Amino acid sequence: MIIQTHAETPEGGTPIAGADPVYLADPLLDASVRMLVELSAQVWVERERRLTLEALLESRGLLARADIETFQPSAEQAAAFKAERARFIEDVFKELRRIPVESASREGR
Amino acid sequence: MAAVPDPMPHPVRRADTAYLDFVEGFREYLLGKGADFEDRLGEALAAEEQRRGAPMRDLDEICRFLDSLPLTALRNRLARTQQEMKWHRIAGAFDAQRTELAAELARHDARGPGRLELDPAFVHPAYVNVQFHLQPGGYYHDELSGFLYHYGTKVFFRGDNDHDELHAKLVGFVPKPADGRVQRVLDLACSVGQSTTAFKARYPEAEVIGIDYSAPMLRTAHRRAVMLGSDVTFAQRLVERTGFPDAHFDITFAFIVFHELPLRIIHETVREAARVTRSGGIFAIYDFTETATKSPFQLYHRWFDARHNGEPYSQDFCDCDLDAILAANGFSVAAAPVGQRSGGAGYMKHWFATRS
Repeated sequence: MIIQTHAETPEGGTPIAGADPVYLADPLLDASVRMLVELSAQVWVERERRLTLEALLESRGLLARADIETFQPSAEQAAAFKAERARFIEDVFKELRRIPVESASREGR
Repeated sequence: MAAVPDPMPHPVRRADTAYLDFVEGFREYLLGKGADFEDRLGEALAAEEQRRGAPMRDLDEICRFLDSLPLTALRNRLARTQQEMKWHRIAGAFDAQRTELAAELARHDARGPGRLELDPAFVHPAYVNVQFHLQPGGYYHDELSGFLYHYGTKVFFRGDNDHDELHAKLVGFVPKPADGRVQRVLDLACSVGQSTTAFKARYPEAEVIGIDYSAPMLRTAHRRAVMLGSDVTFAQRLVERTGFPDAHFDITFAFIVFHELPLRIIHETVREAARVTRSGGIFAIYDFTETATKSPFQLYHRWFDARHNGEPYSQDFCDCDLDAILAANGFSVAAAPVGQRSGGAGYMKHWFATRS
């Protein structure tokens, strides 16, 4: 399967940008912005889930909020948290792999 | 009363839905008054025009000016990023449900009402091999392309089209032929069939046919129509070579199709629409406004979207004189109604052309 993702188009028109265009003064800045937006999305996902859980638990009389502060995970739970943490770090910081080794020219016309 | 079925595919994981909700909200923020990029950069352009004492209409000149501003670079970075985030997450979410979703399509293929007509010998022309809007796999390389597209456009329309409200509105704007006869309707490049079923809802007695080159889109469209109980036909055909008889349709419709066609195919498609639309029939088009009416910022945005959002043919479409092409093929074009638009003012336009 060959998908057109580079500058040439199948039939004229405007050349398409490559897979990883650089918009800012430095690829490091591009990566930083991408990580910031990704992090914001991840924070929202967590916040939405926590709000959902707290609302459900409280409405069913299952949770005293203070229990959250004193919770100690079991060994199995701790391992699951650790794996989840690794996924979270990968989601946010995968951008680091997209920073080109060579300096790239900035996108513009 | 039975619940109305929801044919929109949804991620099963709450985290995916929440993530994509974030992207939808972030997109709204970037395009609207939140980040206020368009107004602020538009004001910068206006100030530059005043300084120069002349309007800026040349794209190279506009790009040189805007590209010199750090705010433009950041705006472009964020615009690209939100689009990449959207597709990355949708693709991941649906890939996790691939087996179930593929089975869901297969289960509906032979069901009615309505029909699905795929062409096993279909050959895709080279020009369609593009990742339009950066959609992974483009429109036809992935069996789930239709599901990806449907959810992708949900995010794109920022909540305004979750239940096909936009399609219903646009189809509602299309004028009837003067003699009132609507027996057959053709929906060109119908994708997941939202306007196709909207036409059927408006004209229940008419035969409504949606065509597209993408089998995954058509299968998704057919499943959706079956779920809605809409008796329409989806067929795998090219917009420039439909294969229907002459003067077969009372209304031919093209919803955001033309800007995804090379100029050569735009001409062929109008010619084909002229052939299959009967005398007095309507050819209704909804697409990007022409270059001449765009503000300097809109000219820049069009170029950015073409290059950085997988719309390689859109610039040529905006530059062409569609009114003249329609006229040369036997259509008379009524003045486009003002105010009947969706999306940003000045970006979208209707053409309602009558076949002579």
